[in-house]
Amino acid sequence: MKVGLFIPCYINQLYPQVGKATIELLERLQVEVIYPSGQTCCGQPMANSGYEYESVGTCNNFVENFKGFDYIVTPSGSCAYHVKKHYDIIPQTDAVTKVRNTIYELCDFLVNVLEVKNVGARFPYKVGIHKSCHGLRGLRLGSCSEKVTEPYSHIGTLLKEVLGTEIIELSRKDECCGFGGTFAVTEEAISVKMGKDRIQDHLNNGAEVITATDTSCLMHLEGLVTRNKQPLKIRHIAEILNSVVD
Amino acid sequence: MSSRDHILSRIKAHKPEFIEEPVITLELFMDWKHVKTEFTMKVEIAGGQVFEATSNQNVTEQVSAMFPESKVNFSTLKGTDGFNTINLDAINKPHDLEDLDILILESGLGVAENGAVWIKDSQLPMRVLPFITKHLVVVLRKDAIVTFMHQAYRKLSCDQTDFGVFISGPSKTADIEQSLVIGAHGALSMSVFLV
Amino acid sequence: MSHSKAATIFNKDENKVNWHDKALWFVRHKRDKSVHTVKGWEELRNLGHGIKAHTLSNLDNYLIQFEENAKKNGVQVHWAVDGEEHNKIVHQILKAHQAKKVVKSKSMLTEECHLNPYLEADGIEVIDSDLGERIVQLAKEPPSHIVLPAIHKTKEEVDALFQEHLGTKPCNGDPQYLTGEARKHLREKFIQADAAITGVNFAIADTGGIVVCTNEGNADMGAHLAPVHIACMGVEKLIPKQTHLGVFLRLLARSATGQHITTYSSHFKKPLKGSEMHIVIVDNGRTEQLSRPDFRASLHCIRCGACMNTCPIYRRSGGHSYDATIPGPIGSILSPGKDLKKHSSLPFASTLCGSCSDVCPVKIDIHSQLYKWRQLITKETPQPIIKKTSMKMMGNLFSKPLQFEKVGKVARWSLRNLPKGVINSKPNVWGKERDLPLGPTESFDEWYKKRKKNE
Ligand code: SF4
Repeated sequence: MKVGLFIPCYINQLYPQVGKATIELLERLQVEVIYPSGQTCCGQPMANSGYEYESVGTCNNFVENFKGFDYIVTPSGSCAYHVKKHYDIIPQTDAVTKVRNTIYELCDFLVNVLEVKNVGARFPYKVGIHKSCHGLRGLRLGSCSEKVTEPYSHIGTLLKEVLGTEIIELSRKDECCGFGGTFAVTEEAISVKMGKDRIQDHLNNGAEVITATDTSCLMHLEGLVTRNKQPLKIRHIAEILNSVVD
Repeated sequence: MSSRDHILSRIKAHKPEFIEEPVITLELFMDWKHVKTEFTMKVEIAGGQVFEATSNQNVTEQVSAMFPESKVNFSTLKGTDGFNTINLDAINKPHDLEDLDILILESGLGVAENGAVWIKDSQLPMRVLPFITKHLVVVLRKDAIVTFMHQAYRKLSCDQTDFGVFISGPSKTADIEQSLVIGAHGALSMSVFLV
Repeated sequence: MSHSKAATIFNKDENKVNWHDKALWFVRHKRDKSVHTVKGWEELRNLGHGIKAHTLSNLDNYLIQFEENAKKNGVQVHWAVDGEEHNKIVHQILKAHQAKKVVKSKSMLTEECHLNPYLEADGIEVIDSDLGERIVQLAKEPPSHIVLPAIHKTKEEVDALFQEHLGTKPCNGDPQYLTGEARKHLREKFIQADAAITGVNFAIADTGGIVVCTNEGNADMGAHLAPVHIACMGVEKLIPKQTHLGVFLRLLARSATGQHITTYSSHFKKPLKGSEMHIVIVDNGRTEQLSRPDFRASLHCIRCGACMNTCPIYRRSGGHSYDATIPGPIGSILSPGKDLKKHSSLPFASTLCGSCSDVCPVKIDIHSQLYKWRQLITKETPQPIIKKTSMKMMGNLFSKPLQFEKVGKVARWSLRNLPKGVINSKPNVWGKERDLPLGPTESFDEWYKKRKKNE
């Protein structure tokens, strides 16, 4: 099995530790991981801002880099979702269809392709799961509180097996954090308020750490936590799953 | 072109290709809850009350005991004329019914999943009655309760009603800060008597 | 005013935002509790969606069938291309009856057509009889929510309003007392009314009847007491058969307030003897929306308000921030269809979190439509040049990996080395209330390359 690793642009530049954790974790699970060097971005930042047409080159570059793999794995639910849902703006060649069908968010890949639950991690903290929306309602990485379905959560399944981790129940199970790409800037007031409320929910329920499948949400929450000097650590799920002792 | 034809022609030009009408499969919804228990619970959730009665006479007795202060009463039940304090024929304008305290009506259809009862024109000497009365009492046969709205509408499909209404509980509002207040414009209380 | 500007103003009072958010979340919570007791809820939503999609695909024929049946029932049917024609028709009917006092139950359509000011200009008194609507009418404000029109008002504000207009006693905002006073006040209006106007929740092609749902009983009090009943509906209110109500009445109230059904679901078919019943069927932009394949599903909406209650933005910006008759997520996909320029900020007032689409009882893909409106808006309305160029630059950058690496280096260096004050300075909106991440010394790219070399 040959897996191509997609590291979103902001993880590459600002949160390399998330990329490192992802690669190390996958390798620990005996997966052959290759990071194609010509990759840049999935095109989401432009498309969600209404400039889908400016992202055509980016999409093509993405497909070019990843068409040769059995699976594409990324520690970002929203990028995986973007490729799956919105790559209909470029001609649907076999390569494009393949890329759209084989891209997986990390937890999804672990649970549904590798079929592992226990990745041998240890992380002795009280952790709140922020269920990033594009992964949750886009990729259905878990049951959504609006829908009447059996409860499940891929990230929860994995986290439950982590030694020492206590998962914190939140009052609002899957409310958006308010990042939303350019929304974070164009609707600054609401974005900040949503982030603050999300953090407060974690604090109220005794979380020490907030985790998620998406670094973008976490960057927004971390920005607020740091600014307001709140007693919370922000960790991407890859970092937790890759931690043996912290 | 008339506005009617203008609108219709635009729709004709703009509508999508024909899409089949979906089939409603009742089995998908069957939850095998106990019909009477469920009905009672749902009436209560809607702010109403459910009682049992043995006869029409028994209904009026219980109602009179429930509202000892009431002055203006009207019932459509057979053999309960003694209960009535007004003669509807003598009332020219429904507006004159403003003081109606108690109204007793019959219903031929109840719905377990939401506690609603169906009241139709033929059971209703005046349409405004169940809304203008202070207290609404409805008499319903136990075997006239169906599980879901789907079954209710199947029953109603062979019924030529000019006006009909599903009523579930007393009138209510939560328009002031989401605080539920029973008694908005319609009845202040609703009681269902199962016979 | 753009949505974000209005939202910023609303957010100046954080306590009020918290209060507003909680009030609406409470309604969403009640909805959850109630729908989770319904076996086959998701199937029911599929049916709701399917019936509406089917109806739209045959809407002209269903309207013709509806009209025919309604006429047989003795109802007079009118057609209006736009809001103005709708208002004229209603006005004419009222004039023919010399009606000077009108009671109206909730109808978003008449709000959309601005019927009240039109009639008031001719000296006709129009009283909104739904309590929430009466409150905002007294406050001279538009409704801020389609099901809970006065959800933005505190009970103290209502108290003050009623003291001023209805002469009530001060009561510290006691809802019981205030509702009781409103009942008395409106009772009088019902008794005196020369005509009643109602909205329509569903119009049924195979019976020619209409269904109106209320909790307060105001539609019925109006319609059964007044000699004329005028029901106003958009063309999209149609459903083919009465049996379809079995689906929609199961969906509507549960989604709206968590009730299993509204208190009154009134089925009007024939007018009372001696009274008149009119139905006004209105287009006002709906056939235009029908012509847009990407957006026509917005016409499925049964106006339950669930997408507003669940929307994390709506809850924190208030209905008025949308500056449209229908606020919230559904409003944000309907309004651009009416006036793209005026409402161009609305599709961007969303994180595309998708909660609205999942909560919607008729499965409108609201968040996907928001995304699609964005693509149209950037092409068809003037955009800030800076946004346009930066997107173009970004597009170029991401198409060319080498250039991308260089730019990233500069950015990381700046984050590490520039003083915080510069990074979080004014033009950087991100940094007003949030810190930026500390720029790492090496990117993942660089780390990966080094690691490979060392292998
Ligand atoms: S779009 Fe859906 S959720 Fe929103 S008001 Fe309409 S029916 Fe309700």
